[in-house]
Amino acid sequence: MKTLSNLRSNFVYAVVGTGAILAFVPFVLSSSYLLQVLIIVLLFVTLGVSWNLLGGYSGQLSLGHAVFFGIGAYGVALLSKPLGQSPWLGLLAGAVLSLPLAAFVGYVCFRLRGPYFTLATIALAEVIRLVVLNSVDLTGGAKGVTVRPLFKGVDKAPWYLLALGLAVFVVLVTYLITRSKLGYYLVAIREDEDAAEAVGVDATGYKMVALAISAFFTSVAGGFFASYLSFIEPDMVLSVERSVEICLLAIIGGLGTILGPVVGALILGLAGEWFRTNLGQAHLLTYGVLLVAVIMFMPEGIVGTMKKAGQVIGKRLSEERRRVTA
Amino acid sequence: MENVFRSKLIYIAFVSILGVGIVLTACSPASAPAPGSSGKELVMTTPAKGTESAPSAKASEKAAPTEAKPSVSGEPIKIGVVTSLTGSQANFGQAQKRGYEIALGEINAKGGVDRRKLELVYEDDASKPETAMSATEKLITQDKVPAMMSPYSSAATLAAAGVADKYETPFLVATSAADNITEQGYKWVFRICAPSSVYASTMVDFIADIAKPQTLAIVFENTNFGTSTAGPAKEIAEKKGIKVVAYEAYKAGAPDFKPLITKVKSANPDVVFFVSYLMDATLLMRQSKELDFNPKMYTAGGAGFSMAEFVSESGAGRAAEYTLSVTQWTADAKWPGAKDFDAKFTELYNVAPEYHAAEAYAAVYVMADAIKRAGTLDKTKLRDALANTDMNTAFGPIKFNAQGQNSHPMLITQVQKGTFVTVWPTDAASATPVFPTPPWSQR
Amino acid sequence: MSVLAQTIVGGILLGGLYALIGIGLTIVFGVMRVINFAHGEFLMVSMYLTYLLFTLWGVDPFLSLFITMPVFFLFGMFIQRFFISPVLKAPEMNQILLTVGIGLILANLIQLLFSADYRQVKTSYSDAVVGVSGISVSLPYSGAFVVAILITVALYFFLMRTDTGKAIRATAQDRDAAALMGADVGRISMITFGIGTAAAAAAGTLLTPVYYLFPTVGGPFTLKSFVVVVLGGMGSILGAIFGGLTLGIAESLGAVYVSTGYQDAIGFLIFLLILILKPSGLFGKSRV
Repeated sequence: MKTLSNLRSNFVYAVVGTGAILAFVPFVLSSSYLLQVLIIVLLFVTLGVSWNLLGGYSGQLSLGHAVFFGIGAYGVALLSKPLGQSPWLGLLAGAVLSLPLAAFVGYVCFRLRGPYFTLATIALAEVIRLVVLNSVDLTGGAKGVTVRPLFKGVDKAPWYLLALGLAVFVVLVTYLITRSKLGYYLVAIREDEDAAEAVGVDATGYKMVALAISAFFTSVAGGFFASYLSFIEPDMVLSVERSVEICLLAIIGGLGTILGPVVGALILGLAGEWFRTNLGQAHLLTYGVLLVAVIMFMPEGIVGTMKKAGQVIGKRLSEERRRVTA
Repeated sequence: MENVFRSKLIYIAFVSILGVGIVLTACSPASAPAPGSSGKELVMTTPAKGTESAPSAKASEKAAPTEAKPSVSGEPIKIGVVTSLTGSQANFGQAQKRGYEIALGEINAKGGVDRRKLELVYEDDASKPETAMSATEKLITQDKVPAMMSPYSSAATLAAAGVADKYETPFLVATSAADNITEQGYKWVFRICAPSSVYASTMVDFIADIAKPQTLAIVFENTNFGTSTAGPAKEIAEKKGIKVVAYEAYKAGAPDFKPLITKVKSANPDVVFFVSYLMDATLLMRQSKELDFNPKMYTAGGAGFSMAEFVSESGAGRAAEYTLSVTQWTADAKWPGAKDFDAKFTELYNVAPEYHAAEAYAAVYVMADAIKRAGTLDKTKLRDALANTDMNTAFGPIKFNAQGQNSHPMLITQVQKGTFVTVWPTDAASATPVFPTPPWSQR
Repeated sequence: MSVLAQTIVGGILLGGLYALIGIGLTIVFGVMRVINFAHGEFLMVSMYLTYLLFTLWGVDPFLSLFITMPVFFLFGMFIQRFFISPVLKAPEMNQILLTVGIGLILANLIQLLFSADYRQVKTSYSDAVVGVSGISVSLPYSGAFVVAILITVALYFFLMRTDTGKAIRATAQDRDAAALMGADVGRISMITFGIGTAAAAAAGTLLTPVYYLFPTVGGPFTLKSFVVVVLGGMGSILGAIFGGLTLGIAESLGAVYVSTGYQDAIGFLIFLLILILKPSGLFGKSRV
């Protein structure tokens, strides 16, 4: 039997190791187009894992996460200029701003449970989107706003490495959280919030922490996205569609798992591109069909189901062993 | 247990049917919007029932027919195109594609470009800017196209233009109107159509000239197109001393305009300026009639107010009469080939071309001309050739300024006796504008 | 003065339709505690069916109610039986996501079949107005309002007077107790979902002469129906009526006196306020 501490370091090594290997990809892969796809996949990983901290671990289904994605995006778009023309500072500023925004969202929405919480996140996100859309003088409104790139030039490698670093970092942070007290509190809140409160867990407080962390990384991803595309408009970053897309990553991969969103990101990112180029009109159906299929047949998500299957197999195997040795 | 089993069978059946449906749809690549066109076919059989849809196809999509070609030899020239083949803008993407195809057919029929066949390589942007970016990336880095044509929507074009400029690839914009596309300092981007601010300035100049109003109301859809046109309109009007008494953004596709029109009516404007697409345009006019709103002039910034269906019975019908609209192109414009293009398009697709198709058609000619003059597919030389373009097309004269923008002359049309007639500029006009607009009760 | 009157009248008419949409959602929630995110998409598909009936066979939209309502009743039962029911035992999150997925499929399926083009059904009376003391009242909207009220009243009587209706209400109050008393909870759920879907379909059909059709027209209606239901209280029909009218009038007034750009935000703001201040709504009694 492996001990807990061995497991911990194994996972960390595995993730860092994979990251290191993946870091060589841009130097081996000549296709700029494929790199582009991978960058989006990595961005999805960050988004999915961040969302999952609130959604999967804490059990709060937020369908308004685009609002954090958006603040990160608009942060780098609008704040770079006043901050010395540096998109890096703009990105940081946007990410920092996501924290008071998260506090606001949490204040409004966390007093609600279950589906009401979800509805409130949608409503709040839509109101904010409308504000951004209508504040033409400030945000450019529907005309959108051009964004300075973090890296000049055509080379995709620095973008890729940044996205990779971000993804690895977020995975590790999430992992550490799940192994920490905070993680256990979150699970307790997810399973039964009232019971957790009864035992003295400050549910609202911890939910806020989870939301803040989730919001921060989501907005960093938003800033990256905006700078990468060098142009954003409200529908690209603040729409309900975007929120649904973000949460799909975790659902398909597996809600309560760390690697779930990674798998989800791979599927939606790679398969999505394949569907677009090969299925023509039909590709529009894929998100919906995937979602329904996963909910009905694999509600734990892909990784979750595999984990369960693994547990079942492991149990059977140890039963066998016991029977043999008995 | 048995129930569960039966349920499982039903799921499997459902998923397989869906799967088969998807595969079948996917396996009809030649007619990309095949399910779409069959749906439209259903519609076209009973046109009298007042149905409405943007340009639709009868039977399957037909590529422009090519007559017996003089010999083309050698490698075809492949130019990249990103357009909306799927998604919410698909019908505009389709209009563009049709325009492209007709031009291609004509050019190749006459021997192509320097005896080489001209081809377009299409990529779908799914009506999303980020997809337009990857598609552009793919065309430039994988398919290695020497030049590109732009997507339909301004957001997608802006995103794609940045990519093309980074990769130093000539990028020709046919349809996207947002001003900022040619204001980025991109050296490789060229646009043949007029930007939104010119829609605004043309119309406001006309209004100031003919109507000499004291007050103006501006109503626009809250999109890039709407905002880019309404904003400059307001500025220019105010500079001319016209008071803007209402400046209302509405959400496109939300068709109860009664509160909006009520509000605008109570502000009592001399002239009203709408910026809307087809459905909203139709409803705005119909509901203006219902609410008996009588400004001295109804004007619009193109788009919905310039489309063929707008004047039809299923559109605004009689309510469209006397509306003025600024537009990029009309079939009766005095530009070489405009009428022929209109005739050919109508014959092939059973519907009149909108200006998007005409823009696409002309863009191919501009590209072909540049290639011919460059004499090579080297990107820099091609770019220089484009920059030196000076030609006349079915879309009017094309000459790019230092920012890559063509000064395309806009036209103003008025609906008179149920058809669009060009009323301005005077040298292009076939009729004089009717002003003031008679109130509804006197029509 | 007449601007105000015109605005309020417009708001009331729209509100009637919002009420009908909300009723469908509130019944489903009351009985099954399921929040149906595909509600607006059912409305949208019904609009397309009405459109087809009109363009292919010239069936007037008001008449096609007799077709669309039963068809969608059956469709709702089908969805409930094969998709919702198995997921009822799963966490709420799954149910929500399932209906989101169904909504996505419906919207994209329609887009595949009909393309994203806006379509319209223009009847002989689409533009007809009735002038009532200086106020212009749209005839089709008024007709829709009247029919919506009729359907609502009929539904009310159904739930109050008939056996099935009573069984539905019993199940809504306490699912397990109802089951113990012999109610076929599974069948009740199917019927309820069918009714909810049929109500959405009716609203869609009634909207067809005055609205445009496009595949994503459903989404905003789903959100609005939530506002209606939360305003009035989940599970309360009277609440939905009240909520619908309130939303209609508020939107209308907001559009004219505040800003048309923020028209949709009005509903959301009301929604958030209610959720924060009185989450059970004005007539409801469910826990939050």
